[in-house]
Amino acid sequence: MSLVVESITKRFGSVVALDDVSFSVEPGRIFGLLGANGAGKTTCMRIVLDILRADSGQVTWQGKLNTKLPRDTWGYLPEERGLYARMKVAEQLRFFASLYGVEPATAEAEITGWLDRFRIPDYRDRKVEELSKGNQQKIQFIAAILHDPDVLIMDEPFTGLDPVNVALLKEAFLAMRDRGKTLIFSTHQMETVEELCESIAIVDRGKVVVAGTLRDVKRRMGRQVVRLATDGDGRGTQWLDELPGIEITRRGEDYVELHVPANREPSTILREALDRGEHVTRFEIADPSLEEIFVEHVGHRSTPDEERHLADEPADAPADEPAAERV
Amino acid sequence: MGGVFPNALHVARREYLIRVRGRAFAITTGLLAIAVLLLVLLPTILTAIGIDKPPRIAIAASEAQLDADPVPLFTTVLTAANDPSGEGASDEAPSVSPVTDTDAARAEVEAGDLDGLLIISRTDDDELAFEYVTKAGPTSQTRILVEQAASSLAIGERLEAAGIPPGERAAIFAPPSFTTVTPDPSDASDSEDFGRNLAIAYILVILTFMAVITYGNWVAQSVAEEKSSRVMELLITAATPRQLLTGKILGTGAAGLTQYAAILLAVVVGFLFSGSVASMLGVEASAVPQLPELNVLGIAALSGFFLGGFILYSTLYAAAGSMVSRLEDVQQAAAPLMFLAMAGYFSSFAALSAPDASWVGIASLVPFFSPYLMPVRMLLADPTQLEIGIALIVLLLTILGAIWVASRIYSAGVLLYGQRLGWRNVLRATRVSR
Repeated sequence: MSLVVESITKRFGSVVALDDVSFSVEPGRIFGLLGANGAGKTTCMRIVLDILRADSGQVTWQGKLNTKLPRDTWGYLPEERGLYARMKVAEQLRFFASLYGVEPATAEAEITGWLDRFRIPDYRDRKVEELSKGNQQKIQFIAAILHDPDVLIMDEPFTGLDPVNVALLKEAFLAMRDRGKTLIFSTHQMETVEELCESIAIVDRGKVVVAGTLRDVKRRMGRQVVRLATDGDGRGTQWLDELPGIEITRRGEDYVELHVPANREPSTILREALDRGEHVTRFEIADPSLEEIFVEHVGHRSTPDEERHLADEPADAPADEPAAERV
Repeated sequence: MGGVFPNALHVARREYLIRVRGRAFAITTGLLAIAVLLLVLLPTILTAIGIDKPPRIAIAASEAQLDADPVPLFTTVLTAANDPSGEGASDEAPSVSPVTDTDAARAEVEAGDLDGLLIISRTDDDELAFEYVTKAGPTSQTRILVEQAASSLAIGERLEAAGIPPGERAAIFAPPSFTTVTPDPSDASDSEDFGRNLAIAYILVILTFMAVITYGNWVAQSVAEEKSSRVMELLITAATPRQLLTGKILGTGAAGLTQYAAILLAVVVGFLFSGSVASMLGVEASAVPQLPELNVLGIAALSGFFLGGFILYSTLYAAAGSMVSRLEDVQQAAAPLMFLAMAGYFSSFAALSAPDASWVGIASLVPFFSPYLMPVRMLLADPTQLEIGIALIVLLLTILGAIWVASRIYSAGVLLYGQRLGWRNVLRATRVSR
């Protein structure tokens, strides 16, 4: 029984933040929610968590409406990080655990386990404001999962972490999945999605433009990528331009990259090259990358939102949906 | 979803500990307790260091050619007023001394060594004329007493001129039987009780106002802080708005009551020890204020109004705090509540001087004002138990309504960032909140 989001629509005043959004996530899987800034990811997550109500549509987990589920079903790592700055780490984590009804002894053991796993056991009795941003983020991740939620929803969990901590967090993701948990996260790092996610949905301006398993999404693009290199310089392959249906996406000194429509067998390109007496040094057939799929659907590259973070420092800028929330 | 407890208690516990552990709390509570203790001991201390010393006056009567020495008369009048028991120690008694050098005496008044100089002379038609040289204002008790003694001296002389023998004068000056009666025999409170109750009413009104303003602001600040530090998103995922709101008010209220308990303790300590402090300083015990008698039911009702007022206002303060994104904006959002609280505060001062006025009777049933006005009436007028009950029930219902409204504003407000402050936005947002 999976998490099913069905036809969710949400308006903020005259702005449509989410328009008939549907997707589903299989239990025990890692799901990537992709979209440009302001696409509606955060609103969508908040509706799944039932901290915001949709105008229409519904969300179910294992057949039950999210409005009827106990709160400890969910773990949430918001995009805007925040903890009580002047509380000590362990005290703070115990507080959040108590809100989810975790027994003190269980909470204590979990806190110790996770602090060790994230290699910060010494910070246990330090105030949060004394920790680095990256370490605060790890504390917040622990706060989101101490109560062992079935579904873990994370908004941009990797932004602001150094490579070592990104690796630690990825390990934690996989460990959670191996415990049978369902993970949903949004990110701008397409490689991370390709590495971790079985399924994805791409949201653009409040609409789901693509959803499904990563493999299906790539297949459905209806084309393959061919990379071809020959002896001699790249200018020697002008004949490629005359082949019908083929689109050259990159012509470098080292190789030429082509998009081949699904109805054409890529090996015909190789045959053509050999017939023309070219000396082929590289011939590669690949699926399109997620980055390409994203650009194709959204119209531009997925960029991290570092600039926006700098801009909203006094904490008065809107979250994910600037236009949408400024009602 | 689920009850309010136990999560409200977890929230309250955190709120209380953070509040009480803070250095600001310890310092404020300590200073308030010391201030109150000093206030209670003030009369004793003032007597001991001699600020409250008995009056000293001089009389220059050589021009008047009086039959009898006026000094004993003035001494008796001043002593009777200063020491009703009539058994004061000799060094505590007022001093009245005859002088002949008026210029020297004037200089002494100027220097503050004498409270006043009374010059007695005669007019052309042989009437007594008095000139009193003093720096004291018209409300000074000594000045009033000197005037009284002077007129009885003059009247005595006129009576003698009219042929009434000195033996009959005492009967003429004897005070008549004078009793004050209220129309309702049940509130036959004597004037001493009224004065004490007035003081208690003053203190209650001030304490209620301080609690509403101070602790209401604590609640608003705390909500706004959680919002601006973005810890709110974690909280709102873990607990319902009603749990968070209730916990916040309970925790802050408990911290506030802790502070008040410390102050109350200082008052009790002050009353308990003022006797020994007085004897230590060599002051007579009658100058020490006494603790008023307590009526259990009345105290319960007064506490109900105090707590109800605090809860009502802090619930709305929490809603105000949830509407802003920055701590600096809290005051602005809470301004309407501040005005409401001040309206109640000032109207209760008007009520202190006219506790029986009909507008006070009506306003004491209105929920935002009853926490101030009903206690005033209970102490100074005589509201029926029905009226007190109605005021309490209306207050309770308003609190329930306020919690409902506030938790809707709160659940909508806490996720709204970066907006211009506005009730319209918030009201619109409440329609889509859970």
